[in-house]
Amino acid sequence: MTLAFPCRFAIAIYGEDGACLGVVAARRDWEPAHEWTRFYFQRRGRLSLDGNGSASSVIPLWDRTLGEPYCRGYRIQIETPDGMPPVASDFPNTHFREFAAELASRFVAQRKLRAGELYSYALVAYPAPPEVAKAGGLSVTNASPGLPARDASLADLLARATPSGVIDIDDMPVFVSPRVLDEASELTRAEQGTETGGILIGTLGRDTMAGDVFAEITAQIPAEHTSGSQVKLTFTPQTWAAADAALRLRKRGEIYLGYWHSHPVRAWCKTRACTLEAQKTCHLAKDFFSPDDEAVMRAAFPRAYSVAIVANDTAFTDLTFSMFGNREGITQPRGFYVLEETIHGA
Amino acid sequence: MGKPESTLDIPLEISDVSGQKIFSVANAPAANTVGELVHEMIGKMNLPRNDAGGAPLTYQARSEREGRHLNASERIGDALQRGDRLTLQPNIDAGLR
Repeated sequence: MTLAFPCRFAIAIYGEDGACLGVVAARRDWEPAHEWTRFYFQRRGRLSLDGNGSASSVIPLWDRTLGEPYCRGYRIQIETPDGMPPVASDFPNTHFREFAAELASRFVAQRKLRAGELYSYALVAYPAPPEVAKAGGLSVTNASPGLPARDASLADLLARATPSGVIDIDDMPVFVSPRVLDEASELTRAEQGTETGGILIGTLGRDTMAGDVFAEITAQIPAEHTSGSQVKLTFTPQTWAAADAALRLRKRGEIYLGYWHSHPVRAWCKTRACTLEAQKTCHLAKDFFSPDDEAVMRAAFPRAYSVAIVANDTAFTDLTFSMFGNREGITQPRGFYVLEETIHGA
Repeated sequence: MGKPESTLDIPLEISDVSGQKIFSVANAPAANTVGELVHEMIGKMNLPRNDAGGAPLTYQARSEREGRHLNASERIGDALQRGDRLTLQPNIDAGLR
């Protein structure tokens, strides 16, 4: 469903002396926050699992001291179809930090701001003029399926799972078959020094007791028709077509849950001649997810339940895995559970 | 006088890669190209138009019925039938940037 904007948002940049250097229309991809809000309330039973088409809007949260037009953040509000009050999540101004930094760089280039000068930014919002309906164009309706969650027992899975990474109890629990990680390890080692990856597939479950939604990654489909280098893995339209064919052949009712790819950190460090000590504290060695990595999630797996796994191939330890998911509208590192191997594994 | 262009509209179903974001199109103009359809649907489906560095992303439309990626220059009326399902599949990099 398209988001409605009763107000237009902008970013004001201020120099060290507090003078306003300019106000620029805010640029933000609102979709991750929208997806996260909907999924959050679906998990808690406040929105129907079929509720992909509910009317949604982005509303300013006025600053409590300065008042309108200054904002302390923004709210994503989703109407409920049964006449109940709408559901909403609030997001902070920090969602605009990167855009503000980009503007500051632009202002430095325009000599409005000195290089190295401290700056601050504010989110402001003004009523939007009424939208004029465009003549012609495609007539489209959202026909997205509901959340394909099957009834299942969360306790049963937890009983045969080992946590990996930091588990946040507010995150959707994600269970990973050990075979997925074994296969990712093998592929990563086979492609030493070159990024490789695959598509994560599995199922969503809805706990029959508590009602919460969780994911089980049952298999990975090696990404075919890709081109990999030391610092890049290109997924092509042929990659997705091959994955579709593989998914259909399995006939297990699985869905796409995200993707995995390797970070050949040892090769990156070799190129840069990093010392082993430097590698141990390098931010690229663990829990690193680049803007490019995020872009793949956004383009191919935009739903809030989707996750990504990175295989960290470093010189100072065995291969490790990091998982990333949408938390509060931002892709963040998150914990997961590794299931015990079963005889009937995928 | 040349043959008049067809004004028929073709209903279609268009999905993203994940298959969880699907839109029904009631009136894809038969005379338009697949490229024009893809361009408009990227916006309607709120799919990203650019990569992390701001470079334009390329999406190809795959016809489920024909099992092939359609060329952007193909005319909708020639390549598609009523009720066809297309998947928009991007060419995109995971990477260090």
